[in-house]
Amino acid sequence: MSRMQYARIGSRLPARLRPLCWSLAAFGSAVLLHVDRLPIWISVFALGAGIARILLALRGAALPNAWLRVAIALALTLGVLAGFRTLNGLSAGSALLVAMGALKLLETRARRDDYVMLGVSLFLLLAACLDRQGLMRVPAYALQLWIDCAALGVIATPGALAGIRPPMKLAGRALACALPLALLMFLFFPRLSGAFWALPGSSQAVTGLSDEMSPGQIDELTVSDAPAFRVEFEGAIPPPRERYWRGPVLHSFDGTTWRRERGRYYLEPRVQFEGPAYRYRVTLEPHGHSWWYALESVVAAPDRRAQLTLDRRLVATHPVTSTVTYTATSHPRTVTHEPLSVLGRRYSLELPPGQNPRTLALATRLRAEAPGAGAYARAVLDYFVREGFEYTLTPPKLGSNAVDEFLFDTRRGFCGHYASAYATLMRAGGVPARVVTGYLGGEWNPLGQYFLVKQSDAHAWVEVWVDGRGWGRVDPTAVVAPERLRRGLYDLMPDAASFATRLARDNAWLAELVQTWDAVNTAWRQRVLQFGQSSQLALLEQLGFDSPRWQQLGVLLGSGLVLWLVWMAWQSRFWLRAARPDGLARAWRALGARYARAGLARGAAEAPLAYAARIGCARPDLAVEAAALASEYAGLRYGPAKDPGAVRRFTAKVRRLPRVPARNS
Amino acid sequence: MSDRLQQAIATLETIILGKPVQLRLAVACLLARGHLLIEDVPGVGKTTLAHALAQVFGLAWQRVQFTSDLLPADIIGVSVFDRSTQQFHFRKGPLFTQLILADEVNRASPKAQSALLEAMEERQVSTDVTTYRLPDPFFVVATQNPHEQAGTYALPESQLDRFLMRIRLGYPDATHERELLREGERRELLPQLAPVLDAEHVLALQAAVRSIHVSDALLDYLQSLIAHTRAHADIRIGLSPRAGQGLLRAAQAWTAICGRHAVLPDDVQAVFGAVAGHRLERRNSLDAADGLRLAGRVVEAVPIPA
Repeated sequence: MSRMQYARIGSRLPARLRPLCWSLAAFGSAVLLHVDRLPIWISVFALGAGIARILLALRGAALPNAWLRVAIALALTLGVLAGFRTLNGLSAGSALLVAMGALKLLETRARRDDYVMLGVSLFLLLAACLDRQGLMRVPAYALQLWIDCAALGVIATPGALAGIRPPMKLAGRALACALPLALLMFLFFPRLSGAFWALPGSSQAVTGLSDEMSPGQIDELTVSDAPAFRVEFEGAIPPPRERYWRGPVLHSFDGTTWRRERGRYYLEPRVQFEGPAYRYRVTLEPHGHSWWYALESVVAAPDRRAQLTLDRRLVATHPVTSTVTYTATSHPRTVTHEPLSVLGRRYSLELPPGQNPRTLALATRLRAEAPGAGAYARAVLDYFVREGFEYTLTPPKLGSNAVDEFLFDTRRGFCGHYASAYATLMRAGGVPARVVTGYLGGEWNPLGQYFLVKQSDAHAWVEVWVDGRGWGRVDPTAVVAPERLRRGLYDLMPDAASFATRLARDNAWLAELVQTWDAVNTAWRQRVLQFGQSSQLALLEQLGFDSPRWQQLGVLLGSGLVLWLVWMAWQSRFWLRAARPDGLARAWRALGARYARAGLARGAAEAPLAYAARIGCARPDLAVEAAALASEYAGLRYGPAKDPGAVRRFTAKVRRLPRVPARNS
Repeated sequence: MSDRLQQAIATLETIILGKPVQLRLAVACLLARGHLLIEDVPGVGKTTLAHALAQVFGLAWQRVQFTSDLLPADIIGVSVFDRSTQQFHFRKGPLFTQLILADEVNRASPKAQSALLEAMEERQVSTDVTTYRLPDPFFVVATQNPHEQAGTYALPESQLDRFLMRIRLGYPDATHERELLREGERRELLPQLAPVLDAEHVLALQAAVRSIHVSDALLDYLQSLIAHTRAHADIRIGLSPRAGQGLLRAAQAWTAICGRHAVLPDDVQAVFGAVAGHRLERRNSLDAADGLRLAGRVVEAVPIPA
């Protein structure tokens, strides 16, 4: 068809532009996967290059020459280098790949170039998969793969696949065929422990607790709905008052800030576990620090990835930069009959000299009235209740004598204020105390059967030492705002939550939707993303292997592979038969090659007798021979009787034929 | 039997000069139990061909001139009340014959057309109470004039699909035109022509055609031809399964005419244009002659599995 006709047809896609349009579509959608991570100028360049390429193709104009392309390539490389300060790494590499892919568009002439564009698209898809693996992105990745395969089909078979539906259908079928193989590999391909594809330096933004607490410096506590970790209990679930997830323990106080002082170790007395034990599995979101969260009095380190510290915390050997899952056992109730070590007592009583004088005076007064350490602890709690303290997320800022100002002037604060003031009062009264930060509570997800602990559940409380009993938890916030413990932060301070949170809370079905989504997402991450070595071995065990080993994985993988191949062979039996030439076909081809030397090559669509007739017309001297051979071949190929002997004789005859005599012989 | 067939074809060639391929296609269409559509300008011998076929193959024949006021009853027949027996009596129309020439089929109203075309498909006619079987063999040769468009009802695709083949005769070449001019009206020779075959022979030949060997290799080729028409970007609708069956049957008939015993790709290619030409339609094209070119391109594009 001429271009005039195309102009008339207008909306229809000219056949010669089809491969280009498909590789453009594949590349464009691959760029879309990265667009929020790319510098804007690269996206604009890619868009411009795509539009320019289409316009050039429609006009049939020449592509930009080599010098211009080299210049643009250099400029792009320098641009990426300037923006990222490197060409290495996932984000810089993806940006460079997008830029160079867009440039490559401007030199797509032959089919080979379209293949290159497809390769770039697939690589961009791979990079996107490495970058983000959220469940929300899976459909986008699948669609991208689908488009890539369809584009491959269009490019590989020019003219055969028109429109959008046929190539997508073909690609869909091919992907469906490949799906069992992908599943097989996913389940049974031996996994290395540790992700070998994990890229170094993927600095994701992490939220969570730090190992410092200075409540007076914060005048507005932001309430984030981001998940901190999820917990599944095996068996009994502890009551709400036991759901204190311990994080960093803060010993040292300089009057405003509580810190976890490094290098100050002291031997903790041995504890005896009492009461019920809870066994649970925590899936911890990355927070950039090395501590893990656990319920009070964790029994032992779950595995070699973490250690149990002297103050009964779990500390991992590496900072948590990706999601980790661990199983732990805790006894909320413990008892110690041993005394606190001298060093431990000293550290737990230390107060900055000369600060918060009014607090010290109050402590002295209350301590004098109380008969013992336990009574004193209760008396201070009573003081908080009696004096009308108020729980708020927007406390006034405090100065250098933060505890004094809080206790006697402002009397408004959140958990950090209460923990800090309470621990100070305890220490001032001669009772060893330390501040513990962590999370309180968690939201039960009935669908996934787990607790979701959010950043908004962050909490701080105090542990005080009572001789004969050991460390015991006291939560001063709980007496000021009992709701905080019972029902979580939201019910206490609905206005502090974001609009989206409030919306989700106030609509029952929306809340359910949010929970469902969280459960599905959790399942995706635990079942799919974190499917590793141990999950594989567990799967083998479920399949009935007594002591799972790698060899069995290999056997399963191999046999699955064989099954899949058989299935594929069955699926494509017509194709296979056509693809493997038998002896007769080889002889027929050889015959064609023989006449081809005389300039009479057989066309792919040329029927045998017609071919012989053409040979006869062109070379009457060959007419008889060609007609006889062609009709013998036709009889063998299309005739009723399949006599292997006849085929062999024909093959041998063709092999023995002399060269085609020259025309004038 | 085969000799008789060759003799019949040779006789036909003495009447229809210079059209060996079209003539054999017409015979192939008859032997494949299909129906034939001849599309050409007037005066190139459409009627003569139909008449000659009937005469040489010894078939009873009728000619119906299709006009815009033709009614279905004019073709099928009509129930008449017989006073003496006090009963309705079906008087059979011209359709009840072995070879019917439907001249200028596109001039009749769609109602009349469909009466004919349904009879072609079912090989029977249903009136109010009774179903009458049409004679066997039953062969419809329809003609239409492609250039005369005013006041005609073009056959829709679904009806076109019922014709196994569409052929064109075309003008004779110079030698044969000279011969025509010298020897005068060919139709006058027809009554003197002795039939070479009869209806029984035709039925036997039709049965023989069905049993001609078709190998898997040939079916592969046939299927890839059909698949190509369905996947081809420029073709609006590919060949239907009915068209596929017809193509195979036509190729078998062609094989029989060539005196061979197994269908070859040559045979498929020989009939492909006639079988597929009127079924293939280019996207965005109104040119009816395009189908044949499209069919030719399909044949050229599909490799024969070696």
